[in-house]
Amino acid sequence: MMRLDRALGIAVALAASMAIAWASNFRVTPHASHDAVLRLAWTARPERVEDCRPQSDDTLAKLPAHMRQSLICEGTTATYRLEVRREGTVIAEQIVRGGGLHHDRPLYVFRDIALPDGEVAISVQFVRVDAKSTATSGEGAHVRSSDEESSRHADANTMDPERRRREGEERLWQRGEAAPASLSLERRFRFVAHEVILVTYDAGRRELMAVEGASR
Amino acid sequence: MTRTIERLSLRLLTAIDALASRWYGWRFNPLYQSVTIVVALYLALLITGLWLILFYRVGAPWESVASVTANLWLGNWVRGLHRYASDAAVVATAVHSFRMFAHGRSWGARTLAWVSGGLLFLLLLLCGWTGYVMVWDTFGEYLAREGARMLDALPVLSEPISRAFTGERPVPSVFFFITLFAHIGIPLGMGVVFWLHVKRLARPVLLPPRPLMWTVVGLLTGIAVVQPLLMAPKANPFVLPAEIPADVFFAFWMPITRNLGGGTALAGIAATAVGLLIVPLFTARRGAAVPALSKVDEEICTGCLQCSLDCPYEAIAMIERTTGRSELVARVDPSLCVSCGICAGSCAPMGVGPPGRTGRDQIARVQAFLAGSDRRPGQVVVIGCVHGAGASARALTAGGAAVHQVDCAGNLHTSVIEILLRGGAGGVLVLACPPRDCWNREGPRWLVERVYHEREAELQSRVDRARVRIVYASAGERHRAVTAVRRFAAEIATLGMTVVDRTINIDAVCAPEEPAVRT
Repeated sequence: MMRLDRALGIAVALAASMAIAWASNFRVTPHASHDAVLRLAWTARPERVEDCRPQSDDTLAKLPAHMRQSLICEGTTATYRLEVRREGTVIAEQIVRGGGLHHDRPLYVFRDIALPDGEVAISVQFVRVDAKSTATSGEGAHVRSSDEESSRHADANTMDPERRRREGEERLWQRGEAAPASLSLERRFRFVAHEVILVTYDAGRRELMAVEGASR
Repeated sequence: MTRTIERLSLRLLTAIDALASRWYGWRFNPLYQSVTIVVALYLALLITGLWLILFYRVGAPWESVASVTANLWLGNWVRGLHRYASDAAVVATAVHSFRMFAHGRSWGARTLAWVSGGLLFLLLLLCGWTGYVMVWDTFGEYLAREGARMLDALPVLSEPISRAFTGERPVPSVFFFITLFAHIGIPLGMGVVFWLHVKRLARPVLLPPRPLMWTVVGLLTGIAVVQPLLMAPKANPFVLPAEIPADVFFAFWMPITRNLGGGTALAGIAATAVGLLIVPLFTARRGAAVPALSKVDEEICTGCLQCSLDCPYEAIAMIERTTGRSELVARVDPSLCVSCGICAGSCAPMGVGPPGRTGRDQIARVQAFLAGSDRRPGQVVVIGCVHGAGASARALTAGGAAVHQVDCAGNLHTSVIEILLRGGAGGVLVLACPPRDCWNREGPRWLVERVYHEREAELQSRVDRARVRIVYASAGERHRAVTAVRRFAAEIATLGMTVVDRTINIDAVCAPEEPAVRT
């Protein structure tokens, strides 16, 4: 009996060890369906919708030199509409705003759309939704180009010209970095089960682009 | 409800314990040693992990791990041992938690131990999670995505973490550096929590008996050699693998969370974790069900230190006495005392113990037992721990013994044995739980010391040791206990009858021989 118990004990210990090894390499199917995925993923800075007002020479004169700014801009960021069509039929729609509580952080798009395999025409539209400046502007407020305002005060003597130039450049850079008012990608894709086609935004070329897996 | 679950758990545990003891003996029963096995595995993980980390590169995680795995002579089995040891640690931790729950050892003074133990379990799972992500194979990528998906549900980040794994750009090295940092940092944090876990224990046993320890490590190493680890394909954001090799011990939640939203999954995991940690709220005894804590009778206490030395929970401190017979007097800390009653057995003058279970109370009970029971002259009396085989009074009685049950064999005052023998018992067999199965940690250990090795309060030398026996038998080992009783009775029958002498004076027995008198 004692020997049998010991033999059973050894057998159970071996079986338990094997069970651990087996359970450690258990095969699971996280993506059981045979769909492919169209992944939309990008980030961009949303365009600023601002109400800019010039500072008078008197106001500027009261400020220390390093705090002088010819234009004071207040506003919000633009909202965009994302629309995805498959063979002309809308399969996804979304309103995209800037991130953060005040929506003043870069916007992001991150969406996986499952599609059956096969070749299909896909259209992705990312278009700015018309937006007014914030209500704080009140009646008579206007959305005005920053450069326009800047040049209107170009003859002011209070500000250092070099500083004024840098301010203008900064605004231009911000505008250039913002997502364009309209982005579009229309293409035929061949979707393969369990593979992902990524549509992303190329900030350098300011356009949407598709990236397909390394296996293609 | 909780009590019912506890009872059912205990019934299941008792049955499995009995089987394991039958196969491996109580000394090497891995279920009794579950917590020490976790510590041994933790050490194995540290050693193998330190070795593996030498070859890990955050710039090429999958490639560096693949290179180690490709080395069948050394790298593969070390990695295999690291992996299987972590799996076994999860199993052993779960067994230990289940054991504590089934024993009802999860509340009161043990709450901190339960909460810190639960925290250790969660940290172990988190550490395993980071370890798999570090490999950056399909399973690691899946875990990372799932983790990111859940964290994205928290409204704290302006951009989802999941976007890091979309394929727009390679996953940055800093991600693997942070994961590696967490994989090293978490075990260090576990060390601190483990200290909290055992800090109220006196003489914590950290490692299993060597034969068991090396058998466990040897078995896991053997499996790692026999079944070499294979590398899963490298993570690819453009591929959704139809099948991935998952580790059930660290991804058992996968089938449940897979179809849930990130927020729901995170809430579910958080609720489970919190539920685990607040178990003491449900298991706590209330009102009359709370066992009385030990008390010190300062008039009797001689300040001998023995109870404070024997207390398995460091709940008794010796403090300076302002008035009285000795310089020191014992003081019980109610926040640490679990009412195990071990101190009752350690106090020669019977001045400490939980009310109703002090040495004096035990003597009163055994005298009532002698007066009340219709025993045959020379019959064996079994003093049985109610947590062990002593609970099976009917089977033991059928085996030919009279049964006197006690709360714990470890709090048995040795005078009880002497009184039973003087009262006409042919022999006294103490049925104690196996040492690593004692609900009060060190009961059987101190019992043996007191009966055979003159530890205070020792069984007097005048008592014939041939008529006393200690047998370890857990609640599920009833047959073994009955067999032991029959054998002992047969031996006692050859010794002849004892002389009945019931003129025992408790105060005389209890009085300290040389009290430490204040000078």
